[in-house]
Amino acid sequence: MSNASQTLTTNLSSWPVRRAAWTTFLPFLILFGLAALLPLTGNEYWGLIATRAAIYWMLVSGLSLIVGFAGQLAIGYVALLTLGAYTTSVLAAGNVLPPLPTLVALGIASAAGAVFGVIVGLPALRLRTFYFAMTTLGFATIVTQVALAWQGVTGGGIGITGPEMPAPFNTAWGFFYLCLGIAALCTWGASNIAHSRVGRSLIAIRDAEVAAEASGISKARLLVVVFMFAGALAAMAGGLFASLQTYITPDAFTFELSLLFFIAVLIGGRGSILGPLIGTVVLTILPEIAAPLAAWSTFLYAFLLLVIVLAMPGGIAALLDFESRKPLAFDRAVRPNPHVLGELFHGQRDGRSIVLRDVVLSFGGVRAIDGVNLEIRPGQIHGLIGPNGSGKTTTLNVISGYYAPEKGDVTLGSPLDPAAAVTRAGRGIARTFQTPRIVGEASVLDNVMIGGSIDGRATFLEALLSLPRHREDERRIEADALLALRAVGLEALAHVRADRLQHSELRFIEIARALVLRPSFLLLDEPAAGLSGVEIDHLGRLIVEIGRQGTGVLLVEHHADLIFSICDDVTVLNLGRVLAAGTPAEIRLHKEVVSAYLGG
Amino acid sequence: MLLDVNALEAGYGKIGVLHHVEMGVAAGEVVALLGHNGAGKTTLLRAISGLLPWGSGDVVFAGHSLKGSGPRESARAGLVHVIEGHRVFTQQTVADNLLLAAYDLPRGERSARIEEALAFFPEIAAKRHDRGGSLSGGQQQMLAVAQGLVRRPRLLMLDEPSAGLSPVLVDRVLAVVSQLRAEGTAILLVEQLVEKVLAVADRVYALAQGRVVLSARCDEPDLRSRLESAYFGSTIARD
Amino acid sequence: MLASILASGVAVGAIYALIGIAYNTMFSTSRVMSFTAGQLGMLGGVFGSLFVLRLGLPPIAGFVAMLACCALIGVITEFVAVRPVLKSLDQHLYVLSTLALALMIQQVTAIKWSTEPQPFPRLFELGSGMLDEKFWVPVIACLLTIIGLELLYRKTLVGRAFLAIAEDNFAARALGLPERNLRIASYALAGAIGGLAGFAGGQLLLAFFANGPLLNFYGFVPVALGGLGNNRGAVIGGLALGVFQQAANFLVGGIFSSVAVFCIFIIVLLLAPQGLFGSHVARRV
Repeated sequence: MSNASQTLTTNLSSWPVRRAAWTTFLPFLILFGLAALLPLTGNEYWGLIATRAAIYWMLVSGLSLIVGFAGQLAIGYVALLTLGAYTTSVLAAGNVLPPLPTLVALGIASAAGAVFGVIVGLPALRLRTFYFAMTTLGFATIVTQVALAWQGVTGGGIGITGPEMPAPFNTAWGFFYLCLGIAALCTWGASNIAHSRVGRSLIAIRDAEVAAEASGISKARLLVVVFMFAGALAAMAGGLFASLQTYITPDAFTFELSLLFFIAVLIGGRGSILGPLIGTVVLTILPEIAAPLAAWSTFLYAFLLLVIVLAMPGGIAALLDFESRKPLAFDRAVRPNPHVLGELFHGQRDGRSIVLRDVVLSFGGVRAIDGVNLEIRPGQIHGLIGPNGSGKTTTLNVISGYYAPEKGDVTLGSPLDPAAAVTRAGRGIARTFQTPRIVGEASVLDNVMIGGSIDGRATFLEALLSLPRHREDERRIEADALLALRAVGLEALAHVRADRLQHSELRFIEIARALVLRPSFLLLDEPAAGLSGVEIDHLGRLIVEIGRQGTGVLLVEHHADLIFSICDDVTVLNLGRVLAAGTPAEIRLHKEVVSAYLGG
Repeated sequence: MLLDVNALEAGYGKIGVLHHVEMGVAAGEVVALLGHNGAGKTTLLRAISGLLPWGSGDVVFAGHSLKGSGPRESARAGLVHVIEGHRVFTQQTVADNLLLAAYDLPRGERSARIEEALAFFPEIAAKRHDRGGSLSGGQQQMLAVAQGLVRRPRLLMLDEPSAGLSPVLVDRVLAVVSQLRAEGTAILLVEQLVEKVLAVADRVYALAQGRVVLSARCDEPDLRSRLESAYFGSTIARD
Repeated sequence: MLASILASGVAVGAIYALIGIAYNTMFSTSRVMSFTAGQLGMLGGVFGSLFVLRLGLPPIAGFVAMLACCALIGVITEFVAVRPVLKSLDQHLYVLSTLALALMIQQVTAIKWSTEPQPFPRLFELGSGMLDEKFWVPVIACLLTIIGLELLYRKTLVGRAFLAIAEDNFAARALGLPERNLRIASYALAGAIGGLAGFAGGQLLLAFFANGPLLNFYGFVPVALGGLGNNRGAVIGGLALGVFQQAANFLVGGIFSSVAVFCIFIIVLLLAPQGLFGSHVARRV
């Protein structure tokens, strides 16, 4: 063990160094540093604009997690700003309860924002994108209507006085520094989340939802937390916005503002924090320096949105991503180092098998699998072959919980939950997909770290504040991911964006992602498809070594020679039934198998 | 050659599926295309008919390159592709399904062409007013083939016409293939049922990993053992 | 009171239903839900008022000119916001591109037309009270549209081709149908239907640039409840929504009626994500 960890550290130091921390922080430091110097100019008008930008950024920092990371098109976020502004103003003015101190009112407004953030977000858990966009839009319309109509509380169309800040925040510059400080905290928190397990999981849900599920990431739980966080930030921004405006009417919260927030994220770039920050600053300043265009600002924003969508989907972040423009070596080959697996896999393996008993599943009246029996034993490589439509992949999908069998059961010691793919990672079952499900915009390393998501112990709050347990999680998952990458032979590409890799390399990333889980069982869905002969040989050796670690492997494949050379057991399916089962030598001689393949 | 495929490379996005495919079909012959799931058979047909834009190489049909043309242009030239999975329009009647296939034909010719196509399949001619969805899988497959015949193709490409059919119906569909050949239509047939296909085909190609690994006449004596080894490895060409 | 709730509810509901049909018409050939649907309704009112009141054309000429303009907007939508993003349908870029175009249309209307609601001409000078033309014109328009679409889909080859593309785009392409031209045609048709909704409902909604988002949402609700692409669901849902909304308006006040509509919308969608009349579950793995 100590020997192993020594090799690990020496090897770690020889890997390409991650971009040094200061280059990552530098743009933030410059931006906030410059802003902090603004009072020296003595220009209070610019101070006002800067305060507004800081407040907008509080909202956008949360929104960027929803739009940029989780890929949920929340286009009506002005509603939560409105909600926060009115809640804070009403509570501070004492229209409903006795007047509360402004900061307390602000706190309550944030809590309300968290609650409504989740309520508005609920449809995103079940519905298609357009529906969610519509719901947020509908919510935005309704909040304004309620503000107009609930005259006794909100003052209706006449409006209400914004909350007054306590000293020392009651001067223009005092308030500016308060907002700047909070904005800096939001930046820090959002960056922490972005670079944590949560950030990676959100991107996985966005771009590779099925793979996220297989890695044990629960979309619902994750999104609810993020909606709460973003909602609270938005409502807090609303309270401060009301204070900045000194007097608010429903007219102050136009849909144009919503558009500004949304476009700031998209101009900035998905999956980035710096980009949306720059986007927010630019969009806030733009109408000020181009005053004649003010009337056309919505048109401009919309036009920008169209241009971004059609011409530069990566946004500012992609423009700033100089790393990804360096050419990669052209003639690189994947060279796995199966011996590294010993370092990754350590500790006790339990000796139970996955057992399928009389499993039946049909689609639209056609029996895709019809009474399949199968046992995958620990440490054994089990090949599953059969002609087109014989039910191989369906069987794999039943085991990994994407389909519930109509009859029969699937057990690993105890029954495996039917149709609950998200539970499989917890039971030590990992898988790969026929078409690699990879997050193209994330680095190879981040992709592999997604596989270790359920290993993390830190909560969202710990990640937000970068507390020790979170940092310990990150270190551990990263080290595991690097080991897994070394095992499959991709460590040299760890920091490259995954969409720059070749198809065969993506297959090995998927295997690395599955290995980070240290699975007791690994289900491979046609891993050799699209690989060259040499790569298939490498793959075969890697799979054999995975088996030696005590992991049971189910190998669905068309390359009969690969199956026959590495499997311990082979099951042949035909028309959803087991046609034959036995050792490779027995199967090779099986008359029916040969004729099922050649269609006798 | 009626159809000539030269050094064709095609795939989906970044995933290259076909690698330097060379093959051809002469006028009036039946050519079978064999291979595993994922070997690239369907991709090859889609590339030929223009459903899938391809990268480099060339597809020449009746002396004209099909580069850049879509399925509509191919069909007009006489190259018709009947896709896999008997995907007929379930909400529309059998007659309307055929009428749709005749969309590009002059108005006056449509009904004659439909009757001509239906003549091959009396069992669906009787159901011409039933909706496509009410047909059995085998009848849907016949309808799909009939849709292809409406265009009076010079080359008909059939993608797994036997999938999911009972043996009797498979024979029925393959009988039509023989009948068409007798009338001079060339056919490119993708199939899983090797034995049955070899009985109707003149020549055969086998694909593996997107490459042509076997090209032979069906009357060559050692064909079966060569196919077997092409399927079970050991002789799969590697590079 | 019941009669006036019904009269205005059915009239408004017919407008929503027409917008819903415009959504469906675009969706059927492209799988795209376009935010321009509501704007087309808004434009129907604005163009109607522009041609008939400002330019003084006879109503029938104004109507035809309005249809042509809205059809053109539909075609522009296809070219600018739909075709470029069709390849990446799974990334939902169309939500953003159509939203952007919709907002541009709205802003141009606000600046070039007016930010205040403008009057809409009376078309037939017929009826008064509950039987006023403003209540029955939308209903007639909706009825004629449904009949027209039925005839198109059942009796013409072009209509069948639309249905074929809606059912299985790939198979339709393989068959050699001119899928691209048919898609453009369906966007023109949707433009005309959306414009008709705004024109027929012009006397109720006036020629107002801000009608777009409202029609977008209330036209989408029946589509979502009825199931995407289901015109019958859209009509039933639209009429039900209109009557419900007007009833709530009279009984508890306008604000709470929109809150109620919103809540019902969310609850129904959470319980029946495919809509009350739809049933389609895509395979994911």
